[in-house]
Amino acid sequence: MYLSISIDVSPRDGAAFARLGQQADRIEQAGADFVLLAHETGAGTLEPGRLEAVVTLPWIARRLATPVVVAALPAVHSVPFHIARALSAADFLTSGRAGWLPLLHGGARFDAAYGDAYHLPPGDRVAKHDDFIRATRALWDSWDQDALILNKDSGAYLDSAKVRRVDYRGPFFATMGPLNAARPPQGHPLLVRDLDDVAGSTIPADVVLGGADRLAGVDARGAVRLLKVTAATVEQGEALVRAGKAEGLHVAGPDAIDQLEALRRHYTRQPATGATARARLGLAAPANPYSKKVPA
Amino acid sequence: MSRENGRLHLWAFLQGIGFFPGGWRVEKATPDAVFQRAYYERIARMVEDARFDAIVFGDQLQGRDAAGRTPGRLAIPTLDPFTLLAVMAGVTSRVGLVATVSTTYNEPAEVAAKFAALNFISEGRAGWNIVTTVHPNSPWNFGEPELLEKSARYARAQAFVDAADAFWRQAAGHPAANAADALRNQWFDIAGTLDFPTSPQYRPVLVQAGQSPDGRNFAAQSAEAIFCPAPTIDAGRAYRDDIHERARALGRDPSKMLIMPGLAFILADTEEEAQRKHRHVLELADDQLCIEYLSESIGYDLTRLPANQPFPLDEICAACEFPAEDVRRMLTPAVEAGLSIADACRDYARKPRGHAIFVGTPEQMADRMETWIDAGACDGFTLQPGYMPSELELFCAHVAPLLQQRGLLRREYQGPTLRDHLLGEFRA
Ligand SMILES: Cc1cc2nc3c(=O)[nH]c(=O)nc-3n(C[C@H](O)[C@H](O)[C@H](O)COP(=O)(O)O)c2cc1C
Repeated sequence: MYLSISIDVSPRDGAAFARLGQQADRIEQAGADFVLLAHETGAGTLEPGRLEAVVTLPWIARRLATPVVVAALPAVHSVPFHIARALSAADFLTSGRAGWLPLLHGGARFDAAYGDAYHLPPGDRVAKHDDFIRATRALWDSWDQDALILNKDSGAYLDSAKVRRVDYRGPFFATMGPLNAARPPQGHPLLVRDLDDVAGSTIPADVVLGGADRLAGVDARGAVRLLKVTAATVEQGEALVRAGKAEGLHVAGPDAIDQLEALRRHYTRQPATGATARARLGLAAPANPYSKKVPA
Repeated sequence: MSRENGRLHLWAFLQGIGFFPGGWRVEKATPDAVFQRAYYERIARMVEDARFDAIVFGDQLQGRDAAGRTPGRLAIPTLDPFTLLAVMAGVTSRVGLVATVSTTYNEPAEVAAKFAALNFISEGRAGWNIVTTVHPNSPWNFGEPELLEKSARYARAQAFVDAADAFWRQAAGHPAANAADALRNQWFDIAGTLDFPTSPQYRPVLVQAGQSPDGRNFAAQSAEAIFCPAPTIDAGRAYRDDIHERARALGRDPSKMLIMPGLAFILADTEEEAQRKHRHVLELADDQLCIEYLSESIGYDLTRLPANQPFPLDEICAACEFPAEDVRRMLTPAVEAGLSIADACRDYARKPRGHAIFVGTPEQMADRMETWIDAGACDGFTLQPGYMPSELELFCAHVAPLLQQRGLLRREYQGPTLRDHLLGEFRA
């Protein structure tokens, strides 16, 4: 039973800094498996938080020392090169437990703030979301996993044959690469998706969140499924996990941390082995289509 | 408050493994630690204990490759600066945290949001080294064929900073008087700002490193601290006087900006030992490394050419990724002196990026810094450890205490924010 929760600050809270730290400490103490740096609406959908999550992730990961820490970000406003570079560093500095959650919801706020050029017809939004993910992953793929050598004696820092331009050209994004950062320890940081936010993506996610209906659909296939619950629905949720309809629960609502603590008393955390979160979740390392087979 | 801050400001300009390209191979270097959290936590604590104003990470937006070949003997310069500074914020409470971010390949909303977050998690210690991006391969990573021309880059930079400032002021509850113009103009078309959580310093400290007339005007207009290369006291004084002059002409008080020339350094107990260390780190940059290093600086893969021959100038200039006339100007002296590619590249890698390099004892370094301050050549130094982490450790353990004994450097921080650290006994 995996347990997931989201965390954010309120912009007009004078004690927001202290409160955020206290919440993180409680969540760590309770033992969450996933912490989403995202804003949760009353309706239970996720939006990018008030606090920019890609910058916050490496800071809060010190207090959240064990879970996968996931940065929510606006999918159609972010730039693949910047996101690929930042999440490479975040994945290294968290020893391979960084995730990203590219979101369409909440985008009106960002449309206004980014300017006219970012307004999209609704029909293009999922396509741009997918293109954003492909471009970002292509940049991670500009490096092979074993490109770094770091041999001081021989002076070999990396293998030049294992780093290349990818010249990615999609309908919305083009990027040459190589990224000026090495391939993250997980290959690709975990791709998390809120199925209430994006439906019909052509790219499978590593981890999905949603209600029981969504988790039963094609969009959830192959992913670690987290069922969204509130205090009112948590018992049904536990039954569904026992029935194999999901691998865990994402707790929401004003008392989400209380629920997390209560659930953890019933479900001790399963020991898992593996060098990265991806391995511990039993997910395969992502293939690298740009990698050249070097003759042995 | 101002007096206790001291009249010498220290900024640690850090790259993953240090200033010299061969630095990652030094015995004490830890190139694998550059990918680990503990390394940055330790460095951050050390710099704060030595009472620096701030830690700065540079940044570039190009792949490291020349004509598609990524160097095999050069270290990765730095991981994403925001990520490193966010980690450092978690283990410190006073030292400033300055990220280098380009105004050419970003949007004000995104940059404003990131600095608001860094400022929030550090409780008011963020700074922004504003750059406009000069490497010709950078635009390719953003789907653009070529760089904007320089004066357009600086015009956009000014408009960008004004727009970002409108976001921060709005979030702090004090909207900018010129917000409407700052958000909608030739460069931007912003219909609404974002809500950020507030933090003690409403916006990051603005830092710049302009050299050209456009760059200097931009610095004089906006910057609270300014980096520059300054090989001599006279060069430092001339730069500082020039920036002060431009600031006055723009109606700004020059005592509100620090001039912080770059200074790389190698330290040892004796001068002979320091010289030996310097020679050693230069030797560790072998010919192949030096050739890759110059390749990267001109955007041409020199590793394919015979190293014992002179540069084939026409061939290089026809294909290099940097502007051909700049590359020709840069390489012509070596060709005229009859140098081989290997010799010319070795010369080039010895003086990375034209910054001043100090080699000597802690006492000598403190003397030199004091002399420069007394001569009005600067307000402090942007220190670039020759290699990491050992040279930074030596500075913190042996030079910082000397500067404190001489009353030049604060013994305690006088306030919690980075802006508090900049206040000093200016002698404009
Ligand atoms: C100490 C120092 C550090 C710099 N760091 C960066 C950097 O990290 N990234 C970058 O793009 N430019 C960096 N620059 C370059 C400046 O932003 C600027 O382009 C350069 O000083 C030339 O000035 P100009 O743009 O007016 O010609 C640095 C300059 C100095 C002096």
